[in-house]
Amino acid sequence: MKSYKKRKQIKNVLMAIIAAVLFVIMMFPLYWMITTSFKDERTVFASPPQLFPLQPTIQAYVEQFTSPMFNIFQGLKNSVIISFFAMILSVVLSIPAAYGMARFRLKGKKFILLLFMVSQMLPQIATLVPNFIIFQKISIYNTYLAPIFADATLGIPFCILMLRTYFLSVPKEIDEAARIDGCNSLQSFTRVVLPMCSGGVAVSFVFSFLFAYSDLVYALTYINESTKWPVTVGIYNAIGRYGTAWSQAMAFGTIVAAPIIILFIFMQKYIVEGLTAGSVKG
Amino acid sequence: MKRLLHKWEGYIYVLPALIFMFVFIFYPIIYNLILSLQDVTVTTLLSPDKDFVGLKNYIDVLKQKEFWNALFLNCVFTVACIFFQFIGGFALAMVFKKETSFFRVTKALMLIPYIIPVTVNAILWKFFFATNGGFINEVLVGLGVIETGVEWLQHPWTAMFSVIVANIWCGIPFFMILLSTGLANIPMDFYESARIDGATSLQQFIYITVPSVKASIQASLVLGIVYTFRAFELIYVMTGGGPVNGTELLTLYSYKNSFTKFDFSVGATISNILMLILLIVGVFYIRMMKDDEEM
Repeated sequence: MKSYKKRKQIKNVLMAIIAAVLFVIMMFPLYWMITTSFKDERTVFASPPQLFPLQPTIQAYVEQFTSPMFNIFQGLKNSVIISFFAMILSVVLSIPAAYGMARFRLKGKKFILLLFMVSQMLPQIATLVPNFIIFQKISIYNTYLAPIFADATLGIPFCILMLRTYFLSVPKEIDEAARIDGCNSLQSFTRVVLPMCSGGVAVSFVFSFLFAYSDLVYALTYINESTKWPVTVGIYNAIGRYGTAWSQAMAFGTIVAAPIIILFIFMQKYIVEGLTAGSVKG
Repeated sequence: MKRLLHKWEGYIYVLPALIFMFVFIFYPIIYNLILSLQDVTVTTLLSPDKDFVGLKNYIDVLKQKEFWNALFLNCVFTVACIFFQFIGGFALAMVFKKETSFFRVTKALMLIPYIIPVTVNAILWKFFFATNGGFINEVLVGLGVIETGVEWLQHPWTAMFSVIVANIWCGIPFFMILLSTGLANIPMDFYESARIDGATSLQQFIYITVPSVKASIQASLVLGIVYTFRAFELIYVMTGGGPVNGTELLTLYSYKNSFTKFDFSVGATISNILMLILLIVGVFYIRMMKDDEEM
């Protein structure tokens, strides 16, 4: 018995070491991006590479923020505007739809569910050209609305399928009790069921935002004025110009990733929950 | 009467989202099908009458060597990525199975590579594979494996290798998280009693772990294949499909036809072929979901 305990102890220590090594390997690229952003151009090419910037400098950031080529503050603002409204649009449309799919007997419900599932699997490229033409016809090409609508099509199916499982987990008796107390279906939904599913609602907010913020191809295709570009398009356009100015490219990358890392720190629980709920992003 | 109203109400909840998706997803898909049957280039794009050419575009595309090259690269990319992502994700899920705070926090942090924008990942890996100053070359030269740096992104096959490595890194957390939910649901007494019966760790893995997470394995593989097969942004930013079409997957091939050559009909044709392939894979997924829950 004692030897079994000891073996288990050794096994635990060994597992912790393996875990630590794997963790370092997985996180190293991100670490490298951030540390490189604090190096000057010469140290980037230092051999052997400096695992830690010996003389950290914020020069690369200063150059990014004062660059005449792309106004990064404007870019961040554009990103936030596009992601915020795409998020609101997808959540506002998804919550009632998910409730409808969870609570009502609808004709063709299976088919509707199938449509939402299929729309998650489509390649973005399949709707890229048609929407490019449609947006020009309804004259929202080159406005924020174009990527907002396109990004919402990513969030909506995810949110509906995810929220539906939350709503299904609330017993029907709870709705019925609310109805007996005199609520109509909308009231019983907003006052009783929805608060019980606040976790799911948080997940749908976070992910609709994430989808929109991460998007490159929609904004790249539907917006041609650089003053309206989100940061993802900004950084894509910048890399060509950098050549090998890697500390600047990494500084830009860190700036683009920072809002998501901050969001992750505060919303970690919901992000893990949303990823666990399955089918996310491509 | 009351029942009827009840039914009606349900549609009011669902319709707004459904209409939105029809306008911006399903109508465009139909539009794309029509485009692929027409001959639409930049000059005829906004004109009202376009010539229908039947299946000519499909026949033309299937005759192009470039198309088969793209399809082949798509398969290489997907198989290599899924193979290593699955193994890596499974290994991480097993190692980080414990519920102590150290394991929980580190496991959560490892999701960051997956949730940051793909564009950032692409630039980060472009730097890793840079000929001068790139980490991979620095290490290989430093260790004496090679004498001078490899031009990773300047040759077709090394470029393919680079985008595969980058994509594996971004995708491992996806597999890890899906598989670890499956692992968390296995009751510990299964292992307990297997140990008492004298089962080795390997036997426990094969006869308890794998069968118990079968559903998670299936779901992660099918979704992973779909997401990898339609990869676009990572490669577009890292290599743009080059060098010499070396990383030109179907998505990039379609994008190039639409937005570089402005041959919208050919672009639409390629994306429809890609969509068809994805839908075939998707049918498996939907079947699995049906087994899981009654729809």
